[in-house]
Amino acid sequence: MADYSAIQALHKSAPAFSPYVPVGLLPYIAFVLLGGTFALAFYFSTLPKTTVPVQETLIASLASVLGGFGVVALFNSVGVYV
Amino acid sequence: MILRCRLAFLVSIIAANLAWAAHSFENTAIVRTAELGGSLVHVTTTYAIKALEPKASIYTVVLSPDEQEKTSWLEIRQKGRQAPLQVEAHELDAVNNVYLYNVQLPKALSTNETTNLIVETIQTHATYPWPEQAAQNDDQTLKYETDLYVLSPYKTAVQRSKIRALVPRILSYTTPEDIEFTTEIPVTKSGATVTYGPYHNIPPSSNSEFVQKHQKHVTVHYGHDFPCAQITKLKRAAEISHWGANLNINDDIVLHNGGPALKGHFSRLGYQSQTFYNRPAPTILNWFTLHLPAGIRNVYYYDLIGNVSTSRLRLAPSAPKTLTANPNQYSIMEVRPRYPVLGGWNYTFTLGWDAPLADSGSFDSKTGKYIVGVPVMTVLPDAVVEDAEVKIILPEGATDIEFFPPFPAKNQTISTHITYLDTVGRPALTFHYERLTDKHSGIIYVTYKVPFLAHLRKPLAVATAFIGLFVLAMGWRRVDTRLDTRQKL
Repeated sequence: MADYSAIQALHKSAPAFSPYVPVGLLPYIAFVLLGGTFALAFYFSTLPKTTVPVQETLIASLASVLGGFGVVALFNSVGVYV
Repeated sequence: MILRCRLAFLVSIIAANLAWAAHSFENTAIVRTAELGGSLVHVTTTYAIKALEPKASIYTVVLSPDEQEKTSWLEIRQKGRQAPLQVEAHELDAVNNVYLYNVQLPKALSTNETTNLIVETIQTHATYPWPEQAAQNDDQTLKYETDLYVLSPYKTAVQRSKIRALVPRILSYTTPEDIEFTTEIPVTKSGATVTYGPYHNIPPSSNSEFVQKHQKHVTVHYGHDFPCAQITKLKRAAEISHWGANLNINDDIVLHNGGPALKGHFSRLGYQSQTFYNRPAPTILNWFTLHLPAGIRNVYYYDLIGNVSTSRLRLAPSAPKTLTANPNQYSIMEVRPRYPVLGGWNYTFTLGWDAPLADSGSFDSKTGKYIVGVPVMTVLPDAVVEDAEVKIILPEGATDIEFFPPFPAKNQTISTHITYLDTVGRPALTFHYERLTDKHSGIIYVTYKVPFLAHLRKPLAVATAFIGLFVLAMGWRRVDTRLDTRQKL
């Protein structure tokens, strides 16, 4: 019981939860990131086919990272809080 | 031989204990008030006690096996203090077949010093509809059975029991005969209250001789003008999201009308005329009010058929938990089931909402732990929840999980829950409760840590899927898929 009241007091006194990225900005972040993913994917499709695909891999990784964060932001902004 | 010695030893210890307990206190007055509701009965027993020896600090409250089975919440307070007293968990006195609760008084009493103890209990399934079937327009009457005397291991100078219904319609009550403890009428009724007593000079009653010789059963048959709602099964899932700073609460509820079962068919015409002339029948559960937390959004209410649009919701703005502005603000939802729930009928529905995580979650930077408080249930007044399961789903990668339930659960498990964009799954804590009442409205606190990299797990999982697509594309560009090589690419 003392345990419970201690954790209750701690819960009240500790600062409220705040996410790394403010939730209100998430729709706009999603739009920008996914727009960037689309643009990079288009650029990827215009790249020349070389034997060692250095430029292609770089562009693909960049597009994927942007797409990863963009999709998570998209899910959160439409109401599926992942 | 050794077993019998041990048994005799045990019995003598218990008997000695009781004998010692019987000598240190005396009850100057016991008043028990039972407030009758639909499926819950609220029993308040006030013991005015006098210590018979110095430094008396442990008082024993006794419940009969019947009472123990029905009681699902017990709290003992001393008059004048708000905080409940420390009660030792009940033990069964096998010799006398009663349950003992030892309560520790904060300040030991000296000889002949008096104080008042208030024992509050809530009994579930103590009332039953009688007659068991009723037509749509009939009255709703319930019966409540209890024991006549309040058991106590100490001598009692005067004792009385009051049974009070919500409306002054008492159809019948038992008149006990052959009562040695009073010379006046053993029972009186006035308005909505039936009073058994006062009974004088009752000896220590928590032993089997007293119970067999004197204890009587009394039954009160009363009218009840409100539908008896019961929740047969409640499944609550609370999902915590760190990226979306959101706490989603989802309740799957099976609602049951515990009143008299419907006799005959349901007449829609009869029901419409009732609502038209504004004469609601007490057996029909039309709507009920739920107090949802403030600051919620995206409330959904659906059942197997689809969305239920027959309810009204008044939202209250979010109150950050650090502000002490108005902690008792609630969003009021008037829930109206798709069809009126008549006696014996069930209605299954799902109710849920999203709430900002800042309202119920906090972060302790000293230990790096997140603390989230999830309420056990949304209280439906005067309804018993038979079977409740609360599942708290923590974010992916949560470690060092500790939980603090407000009252012990029947059992608790940790499992892995998999939902959208999950790779390893999220830890989920499941608590099982039985027979909750409206006093069981506590908050379960869970603390956990989430390392920073665990937060990035989801975006990286999606990024991996994208990379896979790009690698596929890179391969596709370098492969000649023409069927006819003379055709230009």
